[in-house]
Amino acid sequence: MNGWSGTIARINLTTGAITKERTNLKDAALFLGARGLGVKIFSDEVDATVDPLSPENKLIFVPGPFSGTFAPSAGRYHVVTKGPLTGAIAGSNSGGSWGPELRYAGYDALIFEGKAEKPVYVWIKDDRIELRDATHLWGKWVPETTEALRAETDEDAKVACIGPAGEKQVLIAAIMNEMHRAAGRSGVGAVMGSKNLKAVAVVGTKPIKVADPKAFEGAVQAARKKIAANPVAQGLGAYGTEVLVNILNQIGSLPTRNFREGYFPTADKTGGESLKATLLVRPKGCFSCVISCGRVTKIKNPKYAGEGEGPEYEAGWCMGADCAIDNLEAITKANHLCNELGMDSISMGATVACAMDLYEAGLIPKEETGGLDLHFGNADTMVALTRMTGLREGLGDKLALGSFRLASLYGHPEYSMTVKKQEIPAYDPRGVQGIGLEYATCNRGGCHVKGYTIAVEVLGQGPNLDPRVITAKPFWVKLFQDVTAAVDAAGGCIFGTFGMDVGDYAAMLSGLTGVQYTGDSFLQAGERIWNLERLFNLKAGLTKKDDTLPERLLNMAVPEGPAKGMVSRLSEMLPEYYQLRGWDEDGVPTEKRLEELQLAGELVGA
Amino acid sequence: MEVRYFADIRPLAGTIEEARTSVPPTVSDLLAVLSAEKGPAFENRVFPGGKLSDTMIILVNGRNILHLNGVQTPLNPDDVVAVFPMVAGG
Repeated sequence: MNGWSGTIARINLTTGAITKERTNLKDAALFLGARGLGVKIFSDEVDATVDPLSPENKLIFVPGPFSGTFAPSAGRYHVVTKGPLTGAIAGSNSGGSWGPELRYAGYDALIFEGKAEKPVYVWIKDDRIELRDATHLWGKWVPETTEALRAETDEDAKVACIGPAGEKQVLIAAIMNEMHRAAGRSGVGAVMGSKNLKAVAVVGTKPIKVADPKAFEGAVQAARKKIAANPVAQGLGAYGTEVLVNILNQIGSLPTRNFREGYFPTADKTGGESLKATLLVRPKGCFSCVISCGRVTKIKNPKYAGEGEGPEYEAGWCMGADCAIDNLEAITKANHLCNELGMDSISMGATVACAMDLYEAGLIPKEETGGLDLHFGNADTMVALTRMTGLREGLGDKLALGSFRLASLYGHPEYSMTVKKQEIPAYDPRGVQGIGLEYATCNRGGCHVKGYTIAVEVLGQGPNLDPRVITAKPFWVKLFQDVTAAVDAAGGCIFGTFGMDVGDYAAMLSGLTGVQYTGDSFLQAGERIWNLERLFNLKAGLTKKDDTLPERLLNMAVPEGPAKGMVSRLSEMLPEYYQLRGWDEDGVPTEKRLEELQLAGELVGA
Repeated sequence: MEVRYFADIRPLAGTIEEARTSVPPTVSDLLAVLSAEKGPAFENRVFPGGKLSDTMIILVNGRNILHLNGVQTPLNPDDVVAVFPMVAGG
């Protein structure tokens, strides 16, 4: 078999049964792998109304066909499950080398089902898969867990694990691999914790078979050259994603004080330029990466001392401007804590911002804070709350529910800046209209990366659209969503799209798998995946009403700065978006469109 | 008028930001003045041959000049001009 490994492992944690089955090659060709093959398997096997933290939910780890090859930035894998934070399909993507290692062990997917009676971990070395006791690891933080598992399995093992946050089913818990890379969003770490699954350690030694080595190598080399020549990719390596702080701030769309404002006067102290000049040890790339946007960072100040990775732009924003904090050491410390405890840094920082907003409004009483001052700008409080959330201590036990449930506990859900209960990221959709439509319609809840129109609205890529207008935005949102779904499914890093187009991906995938893809059919695979995710959500009970934004962004104009006076014009864009997708006015895919996407029959129950 | 510089443009400009009392009529005029003042490394990166590099983003009061009047965008004493290289992230 070429391109795909041909084997899927199924691990029933309730019974301890480990079985292997052949990969359905028709599904693999249509859904590629990773996010695509994952959602196909998941929606075939799991009732969409399942309780996400029950044994009936499943947790699927899926690399893509590119994972482990020398295609550019091919270090990705996807975790697919139903998200406990959102109640929607969850697809969390991570880099590093864990996904490639699983390919080398010979697997297209690992399917976890049921719940272990006591903590366990899985040790995979090629064909051998063992369930082992993890009682001695329960309670350990991510670095300690990773080191312990390397010591007792193989020093070269790649380890994906949860920390205390996942064990305690914090709803914003992540799955961490190689200590610092996160399948971060939607609470996938809590699902792992609910199954008493502490970790998956992998060593693989098998080759990945390539259908047409000459064609694949030619396509890969051409793609690598394109990325290397792209100025944006070069900038990412030099400054990391934190370089975005200043440009978003200068256009007045850096969400500040829980999205009350769009401009943070001292944001420059938290940007990529400052990080490079102060805490950066070195850039770091994932497997086969040609960009190296990762940041290895070290804090010498004894108050926050430590070494780790990040922050990325999202964490730098939500722990920075969104909390009105310009202390880069504190931001970096909180980011390290998220990695060590196993939490999604975006939801963490945004939930602290929500808590600060509630506190300043007098809605969180002082007697509940354990002596912490939750006013915006208090860096020590932000760091303390991050730790308390991961350990579910004190007020952190409430923050562990994410900002929507936190704000709801105090009777004011409108203080939560979420879509489908997931915290929205670092671009104010009042000043950048297209990204608001992406937030509202993203299948996994508030998310930027699955339809990153910022590239064309702010960063000068392609047609260089005016961020303030809504014309053509539904078209671009749909296009970015479909391209991203296909790139995710192939096992590529989305940053590759800063140099490559769909034709480049199709050429690599054709050479690798022997299935002939064109740019159009690659893109259509993405649209197929998007629709299947949508159908899952509809079956789970989500409706058009969930395709919206927080009231604050729809009706409260930006008060100051370059985007002053603007609100999101979502309601004007959404009907056109549904129409372009071939969905009815309620956002339900039509049978005709599903047939065109080879999804006939999937509508039942939606 | 205030001019702000970012990322790798900062070392080329020799500063993070500066207040300028002399306000050229347009962005094009400003970039020509800055190129002469900052030297060839700045000019080659930002305004080679008197033309705005396609790897640069210039904002005037938070708006990309490509959505205003391009390099012919007029300047006023209270404007804020931001000079960025093309960047990305996520």
